[in-house]
Amino acid sequence: MGAVTYPDAKVVEFVTSRMIPVQLLSDAKPYVTDFNIKWTPTIITLDDTGKEHHRVVGFLSPEEFIASLLLGIAKANFDLDRFEEALSDLDKLLFNYPKSKAAPEAIFIRGVCGYKSSHDPKPLKAAWEKLQAEYPTSEWTERAKPYSLLP
Amino acid sequence: MAQIKWLSDFEGAVSAAKAEKKPVLLDFFNPG
Repeated sequence: MGAVTYPDAKVVEFVTSRMIPVQLLSDAKPYVTDFNIKWTPTIITLDDTGKEHHRVVGFLSPEEFIASLLLGIAKANFDLDRFEEALSDLDKLLFNYPKSKAAPEAIFIRGVCGYKSSHDPKPLKAAWEKLQAEYPTSEWTERAKPYSLLP
Repeated sequence: MAQIKWLSDFEGAVSAAKAEKKPVLLDFFNPG
């Protein structure tokens, strides 16, 4: 990460503008225990109270890293019932990084956000249809399968 | 060349996150 992804100009711009970055050594106590760290790199998105919402383990390319951070920020906002903020970052992820590994989960969460903010089931079914069409082998397509039965 | 300005103090990072209304990017790494 330190040789390839962190020096990338787009990564620097994204992290600087959107997040508070902190690096801890793999033996930093009590945090390694608190966050159950077993391998490095482990990269975690926390909200502004320090609560975890998303994590990845292992190397990510600059594009995959930014997509993963967008997903993490969106998941934090989703967990805090800030659906409009979550939808904004999910849309950015899907527009700019549609081929990323984070994209299928983003579509799934986007559907749930749409439902929870409107109580209309159409976004759930739309999420399944998009997943089925664009990511038919994704685990998130399987998880969304029940939404195919919605009217 | 611009670089990420990493903090090394967890509590300080959470305080900064609260003040700036931003999420925290927490990276556990092994330098060696």
